[in-house]
Amino acid sequence: MTMIGDRQQLAYIAAQAADARVNVELETEGMTLNIGPQHPATHGTLRIIARLDGEQVIWAEPSAGYMHRGYEKLTEVRTYPQVTALINRIDWLGSFANEVPFILAAEKLMGVEAPPRAQHIRTILFELSRIANVSLFLGDLGVQMGAVTPVFFAFRDREYVLNLIEAATGGRFHPNFDRIGGLKDDLPAGFIDETRTVMKKLRNFCDEIEGLLFGNEIFQSRTRGIGVIPKDVALQYGLSGANLRASGVDWDLRRDQTIPMAWDKVDWKVWTHPDGDSFARCWVRLQEVRESTKIVDQLLDTIPSGPVMAKVPKIIKVPEGEAWVSTENPLGEMGYYVVSQGDQGPFRVKIRSASFNNISIVPWALKGVYVPDIITILASLYFILGDIDR
Amino acid sequence: MGLVDRGRLPKPLTTLFNLGRSHSMWVYQWGLACCAIEMGAAFGSPRYDVMRLGVIPLPASPRQADLVVISGTVTDKMAPAIKRLYEQMPEPKYVISMGSCANCGGPYWDSYSVTKGVDQIIPVDVYVPGCPPRPEALLEGIVMLQQRIKNEDMGARWRGEGTKPMTVVDGESIEKGGVPVVVNN
Amino acid sequence: MFPLSSTTDSTTEVPRDEVRETEIARISAALGDAVVDSLVKPHDDMWIRVTADSWLRTAETLKSLGYNYFCFVSAIDWMPSPFGKGEDDPTEPAPERDMSIKQGYTGGATRFQVLARLTQPHTSLGINIKADVDDATMSIQSWTSVFAGANWHERETWEMFGIVFAGHPDLRKMYLPTDFEGYPLRKDFPLLARIVKPWPGIVDVEPMPGDDEQEEGGAS
Repeated sequence: MTMIGDRQQLAYIAAQAADARVNVELETEGMTLNIGPQHPATHGTLRIIARLDGEQVIWAEPSAGYMHRGYEKLTEVRTYPQVTALINRIDWLGSFANEVPFILAAEKLMGVEAPPRAQHIRTILFELSRIANVSLFLGDLGVQMGAVTPVFFAFRDREYVLNLIEAATGGRFHPNFDRIGGLKDDLPAGFIDETRTVMKKLRNFCDEIEGLLFGNEIFQSRTRGIGVIPKDVALQYGLSGANLRASGVDWDLRRDQTIPMAWDKVDWKVWTHPDGDSFARCWVRLQEVRESTKIVDQLLDTIPSGPVMAKVPKIIKVPEGEAWVSTENPLGEMGYYVVSQGDQGPFRVKIRSASFNNISIVPWALKGVYVPDIITILASLYFILGDIDR
Repeated sequence: MGLVDRGRLPKPLTTLFNLGRSHSMWVYQWGLACCAIEMGAAFGSPRYDVMRLGVIPLPASPRQADLVVISGTVTDKMAPAIKRLYEQMPEPKYVISMGSCANCGGPYWDSYSVTKGVDQIIPVDVYVPGCPPRPEALLEGIVMLQQRIKNEDMGARWRGEGTKPMTVVDGESIEKGGVPVVVNN
Repeated sequence: MFPLSSTTDSTTEVPRDEVRETEIARISAALGDAVVDSLVKPHDDMWIRVTADSWLRTAETLKSLGYNYFCFVSAIDWMPSPFGKGEDDPTEPAPERDMSIKQGYTGGATRFQVLARLTQPHTSLGINIKADVDDATMSIQSWTSVFAGANWHERETWEMFGIVFAGHPDLRKMYLPTDFEGYPLRKDFPLLARIVKPWPGIVDVEPMPGDDEQEEGGAS
């Protein structure tokens, strides 16, 4: 009998101890959740360290730098034509768009302007790279919320755009097609007709995604009212692109800035959304793809004739001076501050990439949200690692 | 099985095992930079469809993977994580280095923060050159690796002898010490 | 009104840019004696250089003047690189280089300058702000109290140039491994790979046979 009594007592003590452990757990001393550096939801190698209280994030901090490749230093030891080959790879989904502001800055310093035909083709390729970039975002968005189908659609339709870019430039991903003073080459035969067909396909893709994802109840309940960023916070963190427009700021550098590109020659609309939540950011991007297809269609009708290259010397030396040019890239405002001292290469290039600013808001935006929302907020802010870390 | 452990395996069994192994490769996608998107296109898109080759690109963790594709720029900050990932994978394990950056540093050959080649950290079986390589090039690299697995002596690999890399010349495998397979794009 | 760089020879042709000139006058009036120098390139951009002590006050003032979009903070090392373009043959003795500091727009007195840009979203007017950083202290005020987004940019600048931002809440490394030594974007930070083996691609800037003599270097 005593044996049993002892056993009972031991069991009681064990139960007490277990309860005590549970109580400690309920107090939730906090737990650190480490996402990354290699995690499917971070589109690459961003690492997020979050301190949790139960299901709530009390503190979160992205740890960047796993993709830091030292562009700003490397530009200092390269010539201007070599730099474009390098900066292609900053935002690798919309590579052509990276080249344009740098080339424009160099042209500004040299006092050269590309001929109208080159400006036109630049704008077409710029918008094509935006479509290639954001269509993958729209597909990937579903994956973050458990819907796998959209990503297949995105990869399917994106290939058509990549084929176009490849036909024109010779590179699927990194065209390196822009030259100081114009473009490397003219458009290939049949490009215009082919592009029209593809733009139609892309509009269908947008409709598909809208029906599949944006009308989906799960998608809406996971994005509506989640990760709200008010206008003044967005401005002081320097958010740009769709993230800023989704917070109600009607500002698009394509429209509001005079640069030698062809956006002012066509009719299109800048979409904004007053909500500032995850849904608004995704929705604005969807509309932007649609607008881009419209811009490309209209530009195809009005390509002026003429050369695609201005007269520039063979060996490019940029006169002394400083220039800042930024454009509305797929991810937001991307700018280059180029300091030249009259050499064949730049003296200093400050690369202002959009994702760096867009992601610097993450510690603010993740405070107080629930764990599953980390992924949707990150996905809707949309970043590319090369664009953060450079 | 016991047979493999002892390092002796009858020829027909080896052939059977290798056939099975080469067509049920679970590949872990270690996507780092631009190449990750082309890898995604090769593994995830309907156009390239890697599964027809008997490659399954969706293991839950490196602990369940046979093959890892390192695609993109390896930085010095990232290098310890890659080493750790490789050590977590069970034997026999294979590595494909995809893209110029992972092969040798690529356009960042003079950078202060980039590791000049992932082969400084882990052994590489197949190098796929290109910046980034087309998805077709990656698929060819996988086919090369499959051919290599088919001709492998599992027992020797278990004993640690069969890890010599091979070169593929005109589609015919020739065993040669120290030269890894290079896919010509 | 404001002196342009001597290399820009088209100053007379460009019409006056009244928008930017009134804007810079408004900013100069608001900042008072903090402004050391300012520059307007017509229909292009504005530059202003302020004293190091008024760096934070500049941000506050500009924010109240409508420049509430934070673009970036960075720095410039004006010292010419002792390694040139990293194209020297490592077996030969290093060539003589002109190491005199050549400052950019709005001048400067020190080796390091911080550079920032703010934008007015409703007009898309931007202004580049510069300030000298004292070589001895290598320190300047932080903008984090005015623009929260400056946090990461200042961390980056500190990591790359070694400029300390006084008042920054959390100045630690962001890109490089913690045991990394040196400040990579300083001009005297060597790219070791280039010192071991010079850039082989330099040959492709040699003139092609049959090129016009006048064409090469025509831009200089």
